[in-house]
Amino acid sequence: MLNRRRMLQGFAGGLGAALGSPFSAKDLLAATTVSSAGRIELSSASTSPKRVVFFMQNQGFHPSTCVPEGAKSSRSLAGLQLPEPIQALEPYKDRLHIINGLHGTHTTPSHSAFFGALGGYRGGDGVPPSAGTIDYELSKTLPSTLMPHLCIGMDSLENMKSKPTIANLSASGAGQPIFMHSNPNHLYQMLYGGISSGEIRQQFEARSSVMDQVEHLAEINGKRLPTADQQRYGQYVQGFRDVNGLRDRLATVSDHLKKFAPEVDGRYGSPEFETDWHDVLLDLGVSALKSGITNTLTIGSGRGEIFGSWKGIGVEQQGHNLGHINQPGNPIWIKIRQYNCQMLVRMMEALDSIPEGSGTMMDNTLIVYTSNNADKQHTNGANWPVMLLGNLDGAFKTGCFTQMDSKRPINSLYATLLNVAGKSCDRFNMNEKVAKKFDSSEGPLREVLA
Amino acid sequence: MTIGEPRTIYFLLLTFSLFHGTARGYTPGDPAGLTFEGFAKGFLQDHCTDCHGGSDAEAGLNLEGLGPIDEINQAQWKSIWAQVALGEMPPSDVESPDVIDRLKLTDWIVRELSNHLQEFGGFLASSDPEKGNFVDHDLLFGVLPPGIKLNPTSSPARLWRVTPQEHVTRLNELINREPDYDPKKPGLRSHGDVVPTNHGGELKIYFGTDRIIQWQGGTVAYATAVKSLPAVLSSARDHGLKNYPSFYTVNSAEATQILGAAEDIIRYMAYGPLSIAQAYQITDDPKSIADKMEGDIRGLPSSIVYATSVKRPITPIFELFESDQANDKLVKQAVDYLYEAVTFRPPTESQSRTYQRIVHDSIEKLGKEQGSVLGLSSIFLERDALFRPELAEEGTPDSFGRVKLKDWELGLAVNHALSYIKPDSVLRDAIAKGKMTTRDDVRREVERMLADDSIRKPRVLRFFRDYFDYDRGGYICKDTAALSSTGVNTGSHYRAMFDATASTDRLIELVLQDDKDVLKRLLTTEQIVVTRGDNLYLGRRRSQDEEAASVAAAKLAAEEAAEKAKAELEAWKLANPGETPPKQKKSRQPSINHKIDPATLRGDKVFARVSRRSFGNGSMKPDRELAVVPEGQRMGILTHPSWLVSHSDAMDNHAIRRGRWIRERLIGGGIPDIPITVDAMLPDEPKTTLRERMRVTREDYCWTCHKKMDPLGLPFEMFNHAGIFRETELGEVVNTSGKIIESGDEDLDGEVSDAIDLIERLAASERVEQVFVRHAFRFWMGRNETLHDANVLQEAHRAYRDNGGSMRALLVSLLTSDAFIYRQRDTPASSTQ
Repeated sequence: MLNRRRMLQGFAGGLGAALGSPFSAKDLLAATTVSSAGRIELSSASTSPKRVVFFMQNQGFHPSTCVPEGAKSSRSLAGLQLPEPIQALEPYKDRLHIINGLHGTHTTPSHSAFFGALGGYRGGDGVPPSAGTIDYELSKTLPSTLMPHLCIGMDSLENMKSKPTIANLSASGAGQPIFMHSNPNHLYQMLYGGISSGEIRQQFEARSSVMDQVEHLAEINGKRLPTADQQRYGQYVQGFRDVNGLRDRLATVSDHLKKFAPEVDGRYGSPEFETDWHDVLLDLGVSALKSGITNTLTIGSGRGEIFGSWKGIGVEQQGHNLGHINQPGNPIWIKIRQYNCQMLVRMMEALDSIPEGSGTMMDNTLIVYTSNNADKQHTNGANWPVMLLGNLDGAFKTGCFTQMDSKRPINSLYATLLNVAGKSCDRFNMNEKVAKKFDSSEGPLREVLA
Repeated sequence: MTIGEPRTIYFLLLTFSLFHGTARGYTPGDPAGLTFEGFAKGFLQDHCTDCHGGSDAEAGLNLEGLGPIDEINQAQWKSIWAQVALGEMPPSDVESPDVIDRLKLTDWIVRELSNHLQEFGGFLASSDPEKGNFVDHDLLFGVLPPGIKLNPTSSPARLWRVTPQEHVTRLNELINREPDYDPKKPGLRSHGDVVPTNHGGELKIYFGTDRIIQWQGGTVAYATAVKSLPAVLSSARDHGLKNYPSFYTVNSAEATQILGAAEDIIRYMAYGPLSIAQAYQITDDPKSIADKMEGDIRGLPSSIVYATSVKRPITPIFELFESDQANDKLVKQAVDYLYEAVTFRPPTESQSRTYQRIVHDSIEKLGKEQGSVLGLSSIFLERDALFRPELAEEGTPDSFGRVKLKDWELGLAVNHALSYIKPDSVLRDAIAKGKMTTRDDVRREVERMLADDSIRKPRVLRFFRDYFDYDRGGYICKDTAALSSTGVNTGSHYRAMFDATASTDRLIELVLQDDKDVLKRLLTTEQIVVTRGDNLYLGRRRSQDEEAASVAAAKLAAEEAAEKAKAELEAWKLANPGETPPKQKKSRQPSINHKIDPATLRGDKVFARVSRRSFGNGSMKPDRELAVVPEGQRMGILTHPSWLVSHSDAMDNHAIRRGRWIRERLIGGGIPDIPITVDAMLPDEPKTTLRERMRVTREDYCWTCHKKMDPLGLPFEMFNHAGIFRETELGEVVNTSGKIIESGDEDLDGEVSDAIDLIERLAASERVEQVFVRHAFRFWMGRNETLHDANVLQEAHRAYRDNGGSMRALLVSLLTSDAFIYRQRDTPASSTQ
């Protein structure tokens, strides 16, 4: 049944982000306000802010590229050396939790599980989502923000330009894909159009004007409808009010946003490599977290497919063959993984730089790093390594390695996330019958909780 | 129950007399004046609390203290509504309330639930198509008891949101030119057919695939490189009728995505492949650009080569972008064209001016190209591009408050009844010239469209998909080991199911083409449309002994072949002493499926409609054969893998769902919702048959409902959950017995030996035909039938039957009925009976 909450959540997908609720913009900036001292403080109207980031690298995440030598069973990471591909995380080892041994055999991840990677169900090329994905479900559960869910996708420059939005990983329900944003100019316009200048500003104003007129026309066309249709059509009109209202609400906090909006430089308009856009997309995603606009960020490096390009870090090969390379010890994959980890570090540092409550934003954040392709491109999904960074306000163990001893699917990790976010969930997107085959237990992963 | 001519005449006379107020009585759906104290309480006391009262109340349900409907007890009242409407309660062995009291109580409950649940989204169950059968079949097709007063029927004024399939097909018209209908190859997808789902089951619009002559890489590289847009509008239902007007709206996520899609579409309309590729990629000689295609560019848009011939429709949008200037005339032409293309009717002068102004404003802000794209894209969000109005705002209501649809609303209603694309020129002219106002006008156009095969009618096929639910097979996620045990290839199963859906589509169209005994033929035909790979799906699952024998035979054959090769080698060495024997070619072991004895399927070449090229050379192929099913193993659609797998689950058959389908869609029975207290799980016993595991449904509490479903689904145990025919299960002869009970037709009830026996009996039933007509009514009227529709249903059934089981006659009858033509702007909220 349609209702206002679902409508608003539904809007999330459209922008690659969601409008949270009808509260005032200041209330909804991740429930934060900025004190005169520049310190982010909790808004009185809200619960503790929390945020989750999903970083999905395509082509698999081989365990030997993340499990330290000597880690055969669950233990502390202290005294262990992180493998070369993730060495950038060494200084953050106390915030890291490496999980080995989850599985996703039911998601048919060979080449990519696509929506199944975050949905925990069967996916594949051309297979539509069969339910909402964990990032979307979390965005609904975490304390409301202006746009609870933002998805960004990184690919070759050519693909990002010709297909600036694409939907492969996230979904708000069965048959309802959520688009990733890959053109930073468009994304900047969406997030910060109101405080932009130059061409982005022009685009923003023109689009705003059209949307205002569309809303007006929709309202006129809704007059004199039969009573039974008024509510249903009213939701359509309300959708435009929400779109336009978001713009207005962002405008009311423009001074706040200015503090966090990245500076538009030459990489936006004239990128030399695809990684220029990868970097600025990450900046935009992080800024949306820092400014409190969003509570859930999904990053698809390779956009959930089996291609992708990283020429900017010296990887001349692109595309499908990268997946055919055996990752352990391979210099190309070491570079890509290192690049990923540098991004993770940038995110953590950025969130660490913002005080929040008695600590920093990073204290209330969890970064989930994994692949939409389990451990490798041609895989049956029997092992699906995951790294967690941060502890989401103390909910997760850190500084440790967990080797799963029992048969638990990635769904169980997602159920854990939902529980920590505040929504009771024994199984995520898995009914009892399927669970009997694929899950040896039920409920959250006790192994990863603090 | 059968309907004879005299009964119908009696009914009409009765109806006539009641319309004219010669008798005082109850008007179904109008419980005005009824209250809990004045009516419902007494009903409970008279008919319910004898059993459901006191300390030993039946089933632990005590209704003695039940008060007026409120938020707390609403679930209990909903259950009472279902039980009384379905005639389940009071039970047959006690004195039954009369029909009018039953109607009054159920109408009162619906009204009260609707009122009390208004703030919680309303009470929608009574208008859900799955509850359509809650209206008594015998009252619809039989004689009404005295005292029931019927009104002339109509449907409510309303907005229909377009379906995802309609929307995608509508947008596809803007950028792709589909081939004209070829009477020599009638199954090939042609202009007006729905855009089908792709190789993976995703509904998408593809850009420029008809011009792609080369690409780098394989299937996945193609799928990644090619430009496509997924369907934006959503549909939450996967079984049964999916598109009542009241189901959906367009949310802001969808609206935002539509705007983005619109910009891509407008650019493609303007520039064709140049909007998605570099100029050098457009050539008829791919070799001439070999230097630009070097390296591994698989999966990139630049890996595609497009032919130079223009395939897309050339429209005023193209002319606007081709011109140096965006003058008033060009903008007006573009606006008017696009408006009609997405709403199916021309804009009014005022609407045209409004959108021209938006385009001009955008051009002023962003320049001609970007401004035109942005401004024109707003038209895709016009209300009538996403909703189809049947508001009947003009016209004078008759004495019953009904207003006839006319002109564009009536013309588009007729068009929408059959088609997903805009009205053809004949219909458009008729509308524009004021010749779409009467019932005869409707009949003229419907008969014309039905008689012309070149006018594609995807809505009719959509009805059969919704009715039979045979299009879910590819979406049923199978456990790999369980699937493997059925004998089919686990790697190609999902694809095979999407192919099977397309095959069943085509079979239905072939039956519709003959238009004789349509339902009966669909249920009993021995014909089947197949692909080459279907010889496995239509084969026979070998028994354990046969499978072991097959494995042994293959092993023996391999050993004999090795022996023979060895002997030949020895002989060669003897004949050529001292010489090195030539390298033996490694003979490829034949791939033998030991689990399945494949069927031999041969027949005339036919075609099925499949997606545009979505997966390179691995895309779905239209080639099919019209074959005959193996004798004695299958009969009609319900025994085809597409239907069987659609009604299965990850591990096994779904006998309950199959049984429910037959109970609801053929017999016309209703099943109340599962009480929330029920843990609806079968035990997990891999070494036990489904029939045995379903023993839990035979517990008293469950069996009340399950006895009406399970024995109808279990005869299909003659197939495994991939739809393969089998005679044994777990080493024993498979039990395929079943039973029809309480069908409402005594001739129908009784034991059945297997699915074929069951189907033969059902296919011969007139009641089953009537239930089919009820579903057709729901689909085309967009609502559940009420008792006021009895005459329409009977007329439709008579038209179908008198014309030899003609779907066309049925459609003409329904589409010229008052229920289709008349609208009521204010329908009482409680009209459920």
